[in-house]
Amino acid sequence: MDWFPIVLSLRVALLATVVTAAIGVPLAWFLARRHFPGRDLVSATLLTPLVLPPTVLGYYLLMVIGRRGPVGRFLDVRGIELAFTWRAAVLAAVVGSFALLIKTAQAGFESIDQRLEQAAQTLGHSDWSIFWTVSIPLAWRSILAGTVLAFCKALGDFGITLMVAGDIPGRTQTMPLAIYDHVQSNQLAQANSLALISVGLVVVLMLALGRVARLRY
Amino acid sequence: MLSVALRKRLGSFSLDAQWTSRQPIVALVGPSGSGKTLTLQCIAGLVTPDDGRIVCADRELFDSQKRIDVRPQQRKIGYVFQGYALFPHMTVRENIEYGRKQGTRPLFLDRLGLQSLESHYPSELSGGQQQRVALARALATDPDLLLLDEPLSALDAPLRRELCAELSQTLREWGKMAVLVTHDLSEAYQIADVVVLCEGGRTTEAVPKNDLLWNPSSERVARLIGARNILRGAIAGTKPEAVILNWRGVQLEAALSPSHDLRPRTGDELAFFVRPEYVRLIRKNRVVSDNLRQTNLFRGDIVGERDEGTTWILYFRLALAGRPSQGDYDLEIEIPKLAYERLGVATDRQWEVSIHPGSIQVLPSR
Repeated sequence: MDWFPIVLSLRVALLATVVTAAIGVPLAWFLARRHFPGRDLVSATLLTPLVLPPTVLGYYLLMVIGRRGPVGRFLDVRGIELAFTWRAAVLAAVVGSFALLIKTAQAGFESIDQRLEQAAQTLGHSDWSIFWTVSIPLAWRSILAGTVLAFCKALGDFGITLMVAGDIPGRTQTMPLAIYDHVQSNQLAQANSLALISVGLVVVLMLALGRVARLRY
Repeated sequence: MLSVALRKRLGSFSLDAQWTSRQPIVALVGPSGSGKTLTLQCIAGLVTPDDGRIVCADRELFDSQKRIDVRPQQRKIGYVFQGYALFPHMTVRENIEYGRKQGTRPLFLDRLGLQSLESHYPSELSGGQQQRVALARALATDPDLLLLDEPLSALDAPLRRELCAELSQTLREWGKMAVLVTHDLSEAYQIADVVVLCEGGRTTEAVPKNDLLWNPSSERVARLIGARNILRGAIAGTKPEAVILNWRGVQLEAALSPSHDLRPRTGDELAFFVRPEYVRLIRKNRVVSDNLRQTNLFRGDIVGERDEGTTWILYFRLALAGRPSQGDYDLEIEIPKLAYERLGVATDRQWEVSIHPGSIQVLPSR
């Protein structure tokens, strides 16, 4: 059995989740706690990846990071290839999954009694300190839930990845792509075992998440 | 000294608070939605007023003209939030130490009886214990000013009485300035030195609490403090230190307090109120010997009553022609349950009552 798609998928999903969490958690806090003009527009725009067809997302992403796109050209000059590499797969997974994390984490931050953060202010703590000592500890279950959901979504991305990273066996072929190829070439046994592994991973993660949700702070 | 002058619009609500206190403990009293909490939030810097000036102990905390707006972290203000806002993920000790700087005075743990609870979480505490932790947490930063938003309203009545006394004592011992928000005038009276009344976003000046209850400055203030039997009459004549009022076609003598700068002129109409607990029912089987009881003596009927547990409220209508002054009655009378039973008020509805001239409070008309 070829282990490459499994290892690649896990690596891509893990990296994508780290990136998503690093950008998404502060952004979710910002959306939950700061009022600025155009906040609703930003909030709505961030949700579009959940509802747009993945191929459309992938198409636009390719326009940006492809060799003739603005980012692609910028990187190409510096000798970095992005499109049709595993890095593009990470980017695809980030784009496909960050809306889930932001929505869940934002709801978590919004559910914190605002007086707690105000109390911390009157007790002399800076916004930065309050974020780490009050907001994060009180919203961590939502943040974790969002992170796990984002990881599962990243693990399963098909359309965006296919558009920007291609389906190159041994280089950019992730689990969902491999399953598709196996089915196309009638190798049902291989497709079957990869599909089972996918299901198994997600079920275990969801069970673990349910456990954690019952914990206190 | 604490001086507050601020204006703030929030949607359709507008707050206009202006008061100054030289006394250490101020109570903001008013119904919910009158802008009490918003005032505290502005003082603490959690909400920025549209314009105004806040000065605490010679420190300017906010001045819209000079563009001063000290951040909440730097205001040196302790805040006990309504519902206490304890950090649920921290123990009692962690909560109290959260704001404490190193080298500041030792914790209030033992003083407030919290030592044995220091490793408990807020959800494991009773309401009274939570209140003590919130107080200890706010005081641990050694603030210049303490703000308390309805610190007792989450507690049930017996505990409330106990903690009211305790809070009053703690604040006195602490000795710095405090602003207490409450809707309960008697709570304000027990804890504070001066009272600011709030209504619909507007405030009165800070008034010494005794003046407020015993010498309210206007009919509006009398209504705000819940005075009953607010009546109107015309001045029929004056005596030294007393005024004769024409009310319901009879003469009523009211003592004038020396502090009042009321200069009554015959014919002026004015408002006054009679405290229900000071109206006396005259016992029927005794000759009235006391001179005072012969002034303001009226005959009438009890037309309604209400049992308030330890006291009875009687609605009394004078045996006079004309429309009663308060709907279908003229006076509200409050008597102890014991008196109600001894006098047999339940069956006997015709009485003579007397109103002590000193218990009639004449209100300056403004």
